[in-house]
Amino acid sequence: MKDVDVLDDFDIEDYIRQDQMPHFLCPGCGHGIALRALMWAIHDLAIPKDKLAVVSGIGCSGRLSGYVDASTFHTTHGRPLAFATGLALARPDLHVIVISGDGDCLAIGGNHMIHSCRRNLNMTCMMLNNEIYGMTGGQVSPTTSSDRFTTTTPAGNTEPVFDACALAAAAGASFVGREVTLQILALRELLRDAIANDGFSFVEVISDCTEIYGRKNDLGASPEMMMSQKSSMRPFAYRNTVDVPFRPTGLKTGVLAKTDRPEYGKAYRAMTEKLRGKKGRG
Amino acid sequence: MTNPVQVPTNVLIVGVGGQGVIMVSKVLATLCQNHGYAVKQSEVHGMAKRGGAVFSHVRFGPQVWSPTIPEGEADVLVALEWAEGLRWLSFLKPDTGTFIADCQRIVPPFACRNRGRGAEASYAPQTPEEIIQQVHAGYAMDATTMATNLGNLRAANTVLLGALSTALDFAVDDWLATIPQFVPPASIDINLAAFAAGREWALAGEKRVDANAEGPHVSYTEIRHAQVDTVVEIVEERCKGCDICVKLCPERCLRLNDSLVAELVLPDLCTGCHMCEWLCPDFAISVTNTPVPEPA
Amino acid sequence: MSQRINLQGNHACALGAIRAGCRFFAGYPITPSSEVAESMARELPKVGGTFIQMEDEIASMAAVIGASMGGMKSMTATSGPGFSLKQENLGYACGAEIPCVIVNVMRGGPSTGMPTRPSQGDIMQARWGTHGDHPIIVLAPASAAEAFSETSRAVELSEQLRVPVVVLLDEAIGHLVETVDLDAIPETPEVWRKWAEGPKQDYEPYAVTDDMVPPMSRPGDGYRTHTTGLTHAPNGFPTQNPAIAEAALTRTTTKLDLHRERYESWRVRQCDDADLLIVAIGISARAAQAAVDDLRADGVKAGLFRPVTLWPFPEEALREVVASSGAKTVLVPEMNQGQLVLEVERVLKGSAGTVGLGRIDGEAITPDQIAGKAREILG
Ligand code: SF4
Ligand code: SF4
Repeated sequence: MKDVDVLDDFDIEDYIRQDQMPHFLCPGCGHGIALRALMWAIHDLAIPKDKLAVVSGIGCSGRLSGYVDASTFHTTHGRPLAFATGLALARPDLHVIVISGDGDCLAIGGNHMIHSCRRNLNMTCMMLNNEIYGMTGGQVSPTTSSDRFTTTTPAGNTEPVFDACALAAAAGASFVGREVTLQILALRELLRDAIANDGFSFVEVISDCTEIYGRKNDLGASPEMMMSQKSSMRPFAYRNTVDVPFRPTGLKTGVLAKTDRPEYGKAYRAMTEKLRGKKGRG
Repeated sequence: MTNPVQVPTNVLIVGVGGQGVIMVSKVLATLCQNHGYAVKQSEVHGMAKRGGAVFSHVRFGPQVWSPTIPEGEADVLVALEWAEGLRWLSFLKPDTGTFIADCQRIVPPFACRNRGRGAEASYAPQTPEEIIQQVHAGYAMDATTMATNLGNLRAANTVLLGALSTALDFAVDDWLATIPQFVPPASIDINLAAFAAGREWALAGEKRVDANAEGPHVSYTEIRHAQVDTVVEIVEERCKGCDICVKLCPERCLRLNDSLVAELVLPDLCTGCHMCEWLCPDFAISVTNTPVPEPA
Repeated sequence: MSQRINLQGNHACALGAIRAGCRFFAGYPITPSSEVAESMARELPKVGGTFIQMEDEIASMAAVIGASMGGMKSMTATSGPGFSLKQENLGYACGAEIPCVIVNVMRGGPSTGMPTRPSQGDIMQARWGTHGDHPIIVLAPASAAEAFSETSRAVELSEQLRVPVVVLLDEAIGHLVETVDLDAIPETPEVWRKWAEGPKQDYEPYAVTDDMVPPMSRPGDGYRTHTTGLTHAPNGFPTQNPAIAEAALTRTTTKLDLHRERYESWRVRQCDDADLLIVAIGISARAAQAAVDDLRADGVKAGLFRPVTLWPFPEEALREVVASSGAKTVLVPEMNQGQLVLEVERVLKGSAGTVGLGRIDGEAITPDQIAGKAREILG
């Protein structure tokens, strides 16, 4: 009975595997909100569930694929982009979405991430950044903010962090964006544009790990974490307009890069067509 | 209970990550050790994250060989979470075992697995009364609320420890002397009070079910505005009590009830804005706005 | 027109796979297997297939599995250190039962070892390289023609049994150029995995079927299943239920026992009356054949047993050959410090004396060496 006068007829229940609910994430984990935004974007684009493939790696983010009512693949740690590369090349008819985390995508899977950006094969990578390895109990990740406590940085983190979006843009992803979970409507729009982009799209979602990271660092409960994440960002380029002059150190949100590069799968297939054509004439 | 002088006594403690299963088993193991028993304790910390299933086997007696309790051999099963307790029920000695469980439900990741497609998405279907009837001695306590009333929700495990003390032959003073070694100094008093409360509750009968213990359900509130009808539905079994909807509802019309489940308490203020629905990470809320038909 | 061509073992692997319908290859350059990737890069586009050189060995194994999950027959090739890197995802394919083929051209090891020198040091790794109990089939060709036909067979077996199949070559076979008569290799009908059919609500991706090989679904066919490397229940979702977990693991690790006659393959030469039996694979088996001829010329009754399917080892066959010939001694020449010999010992359980002969200096084992060892044993 989703006869909504307001926005649209999106009902999350149509897109999740209800027999797998409730999901296994901790109370207040932002990953659930990101999953809603993603499904909403899929709905907006009218992508049939039978044409949707969701590939994920290992970690809290990795479990999300199992909740989506689509063809879903929960692969190995750090490798979902590599699995998805094979899948997308074999099946250009599918919409391939990769769900990864900060550790999965930037640490163990860093090599696959930059090369996926470079190759520009048509797929969308949603990287959930909660600055921590949650599944294993709260170890430091490549995006853990400085001085934060984790089980492996008992005196505070002294390692510098990755700006994942800057990395993706530099490596050549044809669509790059970032959003916080609190801004779910903006996130939905961002994901929609990312999926619609013909090429490799990278979307970083700033998510919260309240139970482990938040608790260890006194960041408050989920609502507080979500609010402070939002207020520390620079909502640049969401409408691709102006940067916010204050908060000079915050990460930017919105669409951060968009380039028109040939999509790899199409380029490869064009080459093989040509080869086969030649053979036919010869 | 079995006389621990001849054969090992088996206590199985189960729950989900973050509840303090390990603390309960450490207190027990230390107590046994101080009494000169051989003790074996083996545990599994599920996934090392909150919500993962955790269990601990404690066996003590004059001599203990195997560290794990065979199915059907536990003298006492202590469950810090209801569904985990049900999952392990077959480990209890059918004729003499004692089942002690918090009837609070934390939806653990694996309690909801292995259902067939299209199966009803219900959390453990039996009511606590039904379960307690099945066992020799059983206590379905609302330990979480008891601990919350004492000022610290995290002492729920100590409430259960109090109930456990009634099933084993150790002097109360020995329990009281051991507990402080395993809780933060600031919460020693609360934990001792929690122990006493749990013990007292369990001493009142062989089979007891807390009045608060009940099955899951969906709350359904309909709000009639001038032009639209708004329906706010909250699926209790999905809500994990994260507070997001409560704090981020622009009208502040939700709150968490005593069992830490979201509840629409000020329906008149609800504008049907969907914020709670969209931001609930557990898909527990749905808000539907239906235009009110023009009067004919 | 007879198709007699000079073919290198590595190229033969590529062509054999394509003949069996392989249309996806992902690889990473490594000596001495790079030629497999090179011929795939050349040949696949001609048949509408896809070749990709990935960023590393791990990624190429992942991409191959990804393509297979998408419904394509797929293959990768590697060697030594690359095979080590692929083990993690190879385990995924074993656990999730994704058909795929891995060509491993063995080179000297450990570590970087002797990249251009032949070795047979991966016999055990091919069986037990990834962690945990798992099913796997390993085929060991001994000629360029066999590299062609066995890689073809590898594609078929992996499809029929939903199991990764390793084609284990040594560098000597991989780089050996021989005249191959493609017409003499029988054209096989295209073999595909069983696809899921019937109503969605009745389909369980890991159901226990009579043949223990559940039909597979692929994206787009309406089943929308979940595939995971976690231990999973018949419905495909992770489980920690001890009974379900045990049943699931037991099915995957024992399903191959049911199909022995499908994949088992071995060759015997002059075994009927053999007093001395030589068991060898790959280039060692070719040297052993020459040694057998040499010994026979001397009046020594020697014979050769060559497992073509190396794993699961054709144990019944070997026991029968030993029993019927009455051979008292079994000699196992191999280019490592003694791996195959362990399995032969296990299989024969003392019914014949087992002697190993290893060579690890980066040179191929020679007929003289084998014959010499045989004479030494027989006194
Ligand atoms: S619909 Fe809006 S106003 Fe109503 S309870 Fe939800 S957040 Fe509050
Ligand atoms: S946001 Fe959802 S899970 Fe959190 S308290 Fe509200 S209803 Fe419960």
